[in-house]
Amino acid sequence: MSEPIIEEHVPMVEYRHVHKHYGSLHVLNDINLTVEPGEVIVVIGPSGSGKSTLIRTANRLETIDAGEILIEGLPLPEEGKQLARVRAEVGMVFQSFNLFAHKTVLDNVIMGPVSVLGVNKKEAEEEAAALLRRVGVEEQAHKVPAQLSGGQQQRVAIARSLAMHPKVMLFDEPTSALDPEMINEVLDVMVELARGGMTMVVVTHEMNFAKRVSNRVLFMADGQIIEEGTPEQFFDNPQTDRARDFLESIKTH
Amino acid sequence: MSASAGISMRDALYEQPGPKMRRRIRIGTAIALVLVAIFVLGIIRQFYVTGQLDAKYWAFFLQPTTWTYLANGFWGTVKVSVVAGAISLALGLVFMLGRTSSFAWLRGLSRAFIDFFRGVPSLLLIYFFFLVIPQYGIKMSSFWMITLPVALSASGVLAEVFRAGVNAVPKGQTEAAISIGLSKMQTMFKIVLPQAIRFVIPTLISQLVIVVKDTTLAYVVSYPDMLQNARVLITNYDALVSTYFVVAIIYILLNYLINQASIAVSRRTGVKILRPA
Repeated sequence: MSEPIIEEHVPMVEYRHVHKHYGSLHVLNDINLTVEPGEVIVVIGPSGSGKSTLIRTANRLETIDAGEILIEGLPLPEEGKQLARVRAEVGMVFQSFNLFAHKTVLDNVIMGPVSVLGVNKKEAEEEAAALLRRVGVEEQAHKVPAQLSGGQQQRVAIARSLAMHPKVMLFDEPTSALDPEMINEVLDVMVELARGGMTMVVVTHEMNFAKRVSNRVLFMADGQIIEEGTPEQFFDNPQTDRARDFLESIKTH
Repeated sequence: MSASAGISMRDALYEQPGPKMRRRIRIGTAIALVLVAIFVLGIIRQFYVTGQLDAKYWAFFLQPTTWTYLANGFWGTVKVSVVAGAISLALGLVFMLGRTSSFAWLRGLSRAFIDFFRGVPSLLLIYFFFLVIPQYGIKMSSFWMITLPVALSASGVLAEVFRAGVNAVPKGQTEAAISIGLSKMQTMFKIVLPQAIRFVIPTLISQLVIVVKDTTLAYVVSYPDMLQNARVLITNYDALVSTYFVVAIIYILLNYLINQASIAVSRRTGVKILRPA
């Protein structure tokens, strides 16, 4: 390839007029969203506003009723190997960690590389050890998840995602199930990831995280993105009443 | 799962008794023991009066041949139980996988099988293998004529036990698995099933008791299991009550052992014994 390649600009994730209903509840109502490579987006909003559903549709843990979701310019496959391949490239971190309960920490991290990417076990273990060191739980490698604190489990879950070399990572309220003293150890790992250039969509109410590393904050209510802006704009000068009320309500405690 | 270690079901369901209640429990226990003792003595007396304790009904248990004969029968019972148990485990797993498949026709078919084998009495299945199948020229030894129906009838229940186990695995495990790109099959076999089986091991073992009891239907096909051999002893020595008495105790001991094994496994893995729905 002697000619210079002119890369067409392709967003990492794109939502086009996405709708989803749970019965009569319109949980996603005409969502349009573009996530650029390297961007860190924080999604906040009252419970039941559709934030979790929004990010869970990006790797099809939830289906959509109408519209389109594109990952790197290609429509999200609906099933089979193609879908599994996309899921392997989209990292997901859950509120309740969801580490494989019957596997050691190390086996949790190598599961994807060995079973999906076909990496040989020894190599995968070396990389897993490095990842566990990076998130600060290397000493727990041979324990099972139940022996770890919540904060440790969530850091292992992040390492498990990273082992797949994801192009984008989705975080579904990653610190909501944690005791207060463990929130920062998880947020620190996420900050480091964000600074390292990872594309991230994070559902969280951690304002400090949003202020420190996010490029954009989305405010959702009733299945719609009601407001979006830089963290400074949004937190210091919210435009809508809904956002003002919400920010007021989470500040008081 | 193991968070409740040390708290038994009894602690969870009942209040700790106070001093008055403890006294009442002691008195009740004493009365019950006396009643049981009277009942047992009554039975022994009745046996004595009717001559069941006569030496002629018990003496043949002193002959080694009696015991080798019973041991042969016991071995037959064990063979049928183990083989039927193994087949029913494998079939139960297959039926459960079918029942939870994403293909509607396979789900329906598996469900029909499960409900059929759960619903039909083992004895009817045995008649089918004994009377109907040979008419189509299929030759089968008496071993298989008892083992297959017993296995089939247990497999329906075991499929439901496995399904209870699969349902007990939190949904987040599956979500995490597919999120790193595992296929449906990989998710089932690497993540869900290993945890599900751990949940149901104690229940599976205790289901073996049912298989063991079903093997006593071997007399229908004249397979020499323990009960069948006991019948021969009865005709030989004309000793019905004493023989059944001894054989019953052996069955009770065998099933007691199996139950103890399931409790031991349940303790070791910290897993509750689930009952099939």
